[in-house]
Amino acid sequence: MELGPIFRALMHNPTRFWLITVEVALTLAIVVNCVAIILDRRELLTRPSGLDEPNLVVLTTRPFTDEFADDGFIDTVREEDLQQLRALPGVRTATAIDYLPLAGGGGLTGLAAPDSEGDGHPAPYFVVGLGALDTLGVELVAGRDHIEADLRPGDDEPENLIVTQALADRLYPDGDALGKSVVDPDTREIFGQIVGIIREMHNAWPRSSIAGLAMLRPGPAYDQREIRYMVRTEPGAMDAVFNELEPTVLAVNGDRIVNVRSLADYKRKYFDDEAVLVKVLTVLAALLIGVTSLGIIGLTSFSVTQRTREIGTRRALGATRSAVLRYFVIEIWVITGIGLAIGALLTYALNYALAHLADAPSIGWPLIATGIVFLWVIGLISALAPAFRATLVPPVVTTRTV
Amino acid sequence: MFAYMIRIALLSLRRNPVLSSLLIAAIALGVAVSTAFVTVYYIYSGDPIPTKSDQLYYVQMDNWNPDRPYSRRRPEIPPDQITYRDMQGIMTSDIPTYQSGMFVASLTIHPPEAEQRPFRERVRMCFADFFPMFEVPFAFGGGWGRESDRGPEPVVVIDAATNDRLFGGGDSVGKTVRIEDRPFTVTGVLAPWRPSPRFYDTHTGASQVPEGVYMPFEFARVFEVYTAGNLLIWTDLEDSAPFEEFLASEAIWIQMWAQLDTTEQRQAYSDFLEAYVMEQKKLGRFGRPLNNRLLDVMQWLEDQEVVPEEATGMLVISLLFLLVCAVNLIGILLGKFLARAPEVGVRRALGASRSVVFLQHIVECELVGVIGGVIGLGLSALCLGVINRLLDNSGQFGLDLPMVAAGIGLSLVAGLVAGLYPAWRICRVPPAIHLKLQ
Repeated sequence: MELGPIFRALMHNPTRFWLITVEVALTLAIVVNCVAIILDRRELLTRPSGLDEPNLVVLTTRPFTDEFADDGFIDTVREEDLQQLRALPGVRTATAIDYLPLAGGGGLTGLAAPDSEGDGHPAPYFVVGLGALDTLGVELVAGRDHIEADLRPGDDEPENLIVTQALADRLYPDGDALGKSVVDPDTREIFGQIVGIIREMHNAWPRSSIAGLAMLRPGPAYDQREIRYMVRTEPGAMDAVFNELEPTVLAVNGDRIVNVRSLADYKRKYFDDEAVLVKVLTVLAALLIGVTSLGIIGLTSFSVTQRTREIGTRRALGATRSAVLRYFVIEIWVITGIGLAIGALLTYALNYALAHLADAPSIGWPLIATGIVFLWVIGLISALAPAFRATLVPPVVTTRTV
Repeated sequence: MFAYMIRIALLSLRRNPVLSSLLIAAIALGVAVSTAFVTVYYIYSGDPIPTKSDQLYYVQMDNWNPDRPYSRRRPEIPPDQITYRDMQGIMTSDIPTYQSGMFVASLTIHPPEAEQRPFRERVRMCFADFFPMFEVPFAFGGGWGRESDRGPEPVVVIDAATNDRLFGGGDSVGKTVRIEDRPFTVTGVLAPWRPSPRFYDTHTGASQVPEGVYMPFEFARVFEVYTAGNLLIWTDLEDSAPFEEFLASEAIWIQMWAQLDTTEQRQAYSDFLEAYVMEQKKLGRFGRPLNNRLLDVMQWLEDQEVVPEEATGMLVISLLFLLVCAVNLIGILLGKFLARAPEVGVRRALGASRSVVFLQHIVECELVGVIGGVIGLGLSALCLGVINRLLDNSGQFGLDLPMVAAGIGLSLVAGLVAGLYPAWRICRVPPAIHLKLQ
């Protein structure tokens, strides 16, 4: 190994050494932080929601005539709507629902176990008609689905609720939630009773830390201004069915504004910021690696040109071409190595700053290690071409200009 | 002298076009990225109404649950909207120059052409003062008078897009449009208006564009329409409760703004609010300690944290990106300048002082900086266009004069940072050595 001479040569003319070191260190810090944020947001975007997302379509109808002020009239129209929607070829099933999962707006209440202490737990909820479990594509793990009788409970009867496993575990940490009552945490009045537990379902705020807490309440799921349906199509039938939906309900009653959008579309809108951030950061990280690589190529070429005569001298004194190549490869190794070591510290510093300013995820050592190996290889590859040029310097150069 | 230096610098750049374009590209890239994200941050954190942002106040009062603060995270803050009954109570005051409670509703508009289907539109329900208070620009007509608030009289203001959609553009003042179940008369058509952030209602998205239609607040009562924005309530209210009961409840859903031009006015209004709450306490409401708040526009925006964390993060990352580009430039410039050492040696021998040589090279770097900066600004406008498209935000981000200046400033700083060391190195070149070699 020629580490000794390499190091002394570097110290003799340290500018290039410092430039590459600083550049590599900064690049590592920025790229690793970008990648950490990208991975974090992508995890958010791709997290399974428990719903059959690709096959769900939402129809929102807003009546504009006075007939709809009458609940009986709405009920009739709604039954007819659902019947017609379910009868469409390519539609698996449909249900009425008040707000939408994954879309960023909906009902929220607090719940607690009757004999528990404290402020209770947040319980985002959806009011749904019959057939909601099958429509949403969520899996029942205990208890039962809603039945006709749940829709109109008697005065003294509790509301029959279906909750996610996550919410059930929060309310009853011992795992015996099924059949138990839940109360309003302030008034301690009975809110309802848990009759079913579903494995997983995201609520209206999939970005939040309580995304997995959700509750389905049986009910009419409308007011006079808005009646909404969730339609589940057969796998792959979405495109064919999509344009049939509006005419179908307008044929039942035309005095409404109908809006048809896929659930995936609502979700995309909700996660707009994250999606844009991921794209922007990916482009930036790639650009940065390109810029740094170009920088290393430039500096190494410059150094080769400057040292033409020294290389010639070495060759004249018996160094082989591969020895010259080795010299430059080891040199770039040493320089990027030191730069990356400093870069690892910088990465943590930047991460600390970004965590405070921008809610960046903290970075683990495997990610930094990957980044170091990756940039090391990039540095090597970038230096290879100029280093090869150095091996082509003929020994005779030495004799030309002295 | 300066012109001469620029001429020399241009000559030097032309001598090696490949290297020069590389230099310029490096600066352009750095400036494009950093200017784009400085602009994004600037627009998110900017003053949406600079002429009077310190005279407009957002009104808050604490009617929340005596047992529990409105916000667990920040227990000291009052709720960030107010109730209908409190809006009515405090709008009896004649202290503010202008004042308006407001909320956003979603209403059905029936186009005059029969073949067009009705559509839903976001409608801002507000008082006559909304328009003069926020200096809303009009293309035709104007807002309605205060007397129309009381009736309420069926008058609306529409924006340009709605005007195009309903009437095919033009001066539509006096025309009629059916909203929900009754005809409304258009009193004004807005000129383009895009306060950013949309400060007056941060709950429904500070990046949103203003609503398409504006009508007197009291139609909320006529149509019995609930807010399409945020509604929070801590008392019990049945879903089926009559509308009047809802209006009298503790539900908060209204944004309240007042214009207070002088300190005396502000003090008087603050006293008035205090007296109002103390009065209400006697009626058994407002069980929490007195906690009124009057924040001006910028304080309110800061309180609402309208700058997305992503924007702050991107600002930091993009500035570091520019730094890497500048470090890169140092290397290229060093090589370029030192290759010219013999020439500099001759100049030095002929009497050029070190400072002149130094200045000459700094000028060259700054020239690269400015050319790169101008190209970078173009690229940056493109970047912003792409971000606008991705976010589907109707062109929220764009370069204005301060941002163009900022971009040029960044490119000058980058040129200086990159040029200092190489220029210093080259001006230390001893004249003799290179003369000997030649």
